[in-house]
Amino acid sequence: MSTRRIAEVSINYLVIAIVLVGVMSPFIYVAFSSFKPLKEIMTIRPAFFPHQPTLKNYQTLLLARTPIRNFPLFLFNSFKVSIGTTLLTLVLACLGGYSLARYRYRGRELLGRMMLFIYVFPTILLLVPVYKMFSRLNMLDTHFALIIVYTALAVPFCTWLLSSFFRGIPPELEEAAMVDGAKGLTIFYRIVFPLAAPGILTAGAYAFITAWGEYMFALILLMTSAQRTAPLGLATFTAEQYIEWGPLLAGSWLIILPVVVCFLPLAKYFIRGFIAGAVKG
Amino acid sequence: MRRKTVGYLFVLPILVLILVIFLYPLISTIRYSLYDIPFGVKQGPFVGLQNYRIIFAEPVFWQGLRNSVIWALGNLAVQLTIPFGIAIVLNHRLKGIDLVRAIVLIPWIVPAVVVAICARWLLLPTMGPINYYLLKTGIVARRVNFLGSLGLAMPTLIALNSWKFFPFGTLLILAALQTIPAQLYEAARVDGANPWQCFTRITFPLVGRIVWFIGFLAFVWNFNIFDLIWLITQGGPGNTTQTLPVLIYRTAFKTFRPGEASSIAVIIMIFLAAVGIIYFRLLSPKKEERIIAQ
Repeated sequence: MSTRRIAEVSINYLVIAIVLVGVMSPFIYVAFSSFKPLKEIMTIRPAFFPHQPTLKNYQTLLLARTPIRNFPLFLFNSFKVSIGTTLLTLVLACLGGYSLARYRYRGRELLGRMMLFIYVFPTILLLVPVYKMFSRLNMLDTHFALIIVYTALAVPFCTWLLSSFFRGIPPELEEAAMVDGAKGLTIFYRIVFPLAAPGILTAGAYAFITAWGEYMFALILLMTSAQRTAPLGLATFTAEQYIEWGPLLAGSWLIILPVVVCFLPLAKYFIRGFIAGAVKG
Repeated sequence: MRRKTVGYLFVLPILVLILVIFLYPLISTIRYSLYDIPFGVKQGPFVGLQNYRIIFAEPVFWQGLRNSVIWALGNLAVQLTIPFGIAIVLNHRLKGIDLVRAIVLIPWIVPAVVVAICARWLLLPTMGPINYYLLKTGIVARRVNFLGSLGLAMPTLIALNSWKFFPFGTLLILAALQTIPAQLYEAARVDGANPWQCFTRITFPLVGRIVWFIGFLAFVWNFNIFDLIWLITQGGPGNTTQTLPVLIYRTAFKTFRPGEASSIAVIIMIFLAAVGIIYFRLLSPKKEERIIAQ
């Protein structure tokens, strides 16, 4: 290797190191701090590692429950809404993606483009009308309303992603199965589904992540504390007179964990899907 | 059933959902903006452009518009430049690059509420760790009130938001970079081109169009951000971080004037549409470049 090449490679690694530190250090710092007792969190001389590690913040958050501060319930609500969104999104996106990939009809190209271009839509516009709409339908304060909105946010991208996965499956496989007498749904279940599994997992993870962290619609559509999702519940703790940072840091970690666990194993497919989308769009 | 019909049937649910959640609200926003709607009442009287007149007469609206433009442009500047550099590095075939690419995406998937809470704690003026380390290393002489001072709150928010969204730009620019054949760089290197020349003569002309589009996407997305600002500063201190989305929320759900909130929403819509038209019609890269890019 020439010296110039060595210099280039080391600059690359240096940049990567800086980026990784910039991305990871806040999380790691907060993670360690969530195990600190209050006097180590609220101090003018903070340390990186806890001196006297404690689980007290997590205990306060999870065990000291009151009707308006019921974090385990908020987590449960978030799981309910996110899983509902994921399932509904996957059903719609599989149907839609399959249609875009396999059937020929007028307006198909336009529909495919719309799935990506809908993301230029200014969502802040939805605030008042969506509230009014669900209010008129008597669906305020229901998780179902959130699931509908979150599905609408996630489904266009998932449909697009899945249609590109379905296109990668040779149609001959399905035709052969049809010749053997298999019916539509069986073909999908036996052939398309297994072959597109990475795509379906990625679309599912995208829908889950979208729903899991959403704050704005939860804020306007949910009314009572028993219905709150975890992001909304945690945010209300910061509006109190005396902010208890310990449990908040613990809660932050409990909210991050599922999305990271959901995402990291699928990151490869995520990146591939986005890259394909960006190049085409 | 004919095959065509089945194809339509399969996309129908998505179409209905998009119509109900995106298109119908778009139309009703315009309608609401022309009515006087007291909160909780289904329909007030038609008042024409009165809501717009009220909004235009409020200094808070003009300040919000200015804040929004500063916010969107500031974020755009950070989110196109830094990710470009990072994407160029991540485009190299290095050991462990897949894991690095995955980790870089994490800020983007972390919920806004988590970023907000952690940032508020880390940036506390007296007890915050960031101030402690800045003092200790001598970068600042006095403790800085990042989120509480009039001049600093907006830049701090822009930095936080850009931290959260830089992975998006990075990933899309990386996608664009991967369309460039590696042979081009090898040929240039044989001809003795330095890295800067490679960037200005090969990389930039070839990915310019995609980056151009990402720029618009980033502008619109940043313009619409509500959650991070609301969760960190609620538009304060002294309305210096109150962008139009925050103002819409406040007007509709805190001071209960949904009609006026809708007229702000309509103004945002017109504004963004105008930006889009100007951006793509007048400022778009030249035709020749586009052909090369394709």
